Amino acid sequence: MVEIVVENLFFKYPEAENYVLKNINLIIKEGESIAILGENGAGKTTLAKNLNGLLKPTQGSVKIDGVDTRNLSVAKIARKIGFVCHNPDHQFFAETVEEEIRFGLRNFGFPENEAERSIREVLKTFGLEDYRFRNPFQLSGGEKKRLAIASIMVWNPELLILDEPTIGMDYAQRLNIQRVLKKLVSEGRSIVVITHDVDFAASLCERAIILSKGEVIGDGCLRKLLSDSEVIEKASLKKPFLIELEEELGFSIMEEDFDEICDFLTRVFPKCHS
Amino acid sequence: MSFLRAFKYKRKDSLMHRLDPRSKFLLSIILMSFSVVFLNAYILLAILIFQIVLLGLSKTLREWVYSLRGLIFFFAIIFITQMLFSGSLFTGFVLSLRLIVLSSSMSWFFLSSTPEDIGRAMSAARIPMELTFSFIMAIRFIPVIYDEFQSIYDAQRSRGLELEKGGFRTKIRNLMPILIPLLVGTIRRTYEIADAMEVRAFGASPKRTSYKPLKFRRGDYFLCLASAILALIIVYLKLFLGLE
Repeated sequence: MVEIVVENLFFKYPEAENYVLKNINLIIKEGESIAILGENGAGKTTLAKNLNGLLKPTQGSVKIDGVDTRNLSVAKIARKIGFVCHNPDHQFFAETVEEEIRFGLRNFGFPENEAERSIREVLKTFGLEDYRFRNPFQLSGGEKKRLAIASIMVWNPELLILDEPTIGMDYAQRLNIQRVLKKLVSEGRSIVVITHDVDFAASLCERAIILSKGEVIGDGCLRKLLSDSEVIEKASLKKPFLIELEEELGFSIMEEDFDEICDFLTRVFPKCHS
Repeated sequence: MSFLRAFKYKRKDSLMHRLDPRSKFLLSIILMSFSVVFLNAYILLAILIFQIVLLGLSKTLREWVYSLRGLIFFFAIIFITQMLFSGSLFTGFVLSLRLIVLSSSMSWFFLSSTPEDIGRAMSAARIPMELTFSFIMAIRFIPVIYDEFQSIYDAQRSRGLELEKGGFRTKIRNLMPILIPLLVGTIRRTYEIADAMEVRAFGASPKRTSYKPLKFRRGDYFLCLASAILALIIVYLKLFLGLE
């Protein structure tokens, strides 16, 4: 299984004067569910692109299973580490949902019968069976997002990085994505989510990496970090609803019960959305 | 696509940035004329040195050098075709030099002039507002399209696309997953911008005012004088000395 080791990572874009990432040190291990949080421009997406080799470190190193990303092609890394970009429209080009999903499998040279089986499975997992022959550009925002994730998950990468998976989604769509990702996490899949949505992160991830101005200001248990007012303020975040609720009630809520509590509150107070 | 950076305005506090776009445009056209009229390595080198001085004065040398990296592909094509068809490396060098001088002439102008200033200059030349606005939008779109291209390219690379692999036909076919989303995105944005303009009453009044009228300064007169001298040099070298 994949392991990423980031050591003394500094990164700046070729034409820029300032570093976007400064002295980042991390280890991402098998089966972890991690949220990368931070204010706008903190360097979250840049860090993610360094993790999957789209960007190479200016100083320091990013090693995937012991191999420096400078010595690996993006395609080779993509086979292990899937990256779902924040705007699905940036990747759609095929005429049908099926062809869109098949694209990655063709690039990696999957045999046709295996590809067919994988496509069927992933369409089912992401609830896209009925859209198989639809044009990707005609799907709704939530469906597009599911298709974007499906078109990566189809080759079964060991780690999935998602950039802003809930951006621009309504509550129902967000819940749908949340359920799909929760299922992947429960199956032991490693997931890294870049998001501003702390409630989404709290419902999905155990570990948080909090960035501010290109530096890691917190790395550890998500619940613990997002209870720290100083960290929250520094990274321009807010406390997740779950933690606020715990603080108000004065006792801990088990994560398994959280969805039930949210459903209850939504029923009682229809305008209340976590 | 990095050569597009050569046409993106770079905010700097420099002497060139403060000049009127009309005088800068005139000089750019004259410099460009050198590359169109002459194929003489010495003349092209002299103009290139002059352009480097101008880029230095506008503090945009770094951006220009970065943009040249994007032209390496074109230089390679010129070299190879010249070697194949004329068997001369020197001709390949001169033609590449011509391409650098040609692109640098406009690069210096766009790197040091804001799209707004260019628009004001066009309005001052009585060019219809619709045309002026379309031109400014096109300039503004260059960096946006470049960024979008990069995002799309990254998204497709993350799905295993390798543009470097395969023969010529495969490479062209591999461009489709990048060009289609880029085209769709651009068309969509065009409609969105048109709507955004309309809801803000674009075109409601045929006569538009400018809160920052353009004004010629001493430096602009100097630039116009330099343009006139360079134009005379072109005429002299071409007609009287018969240089090619």
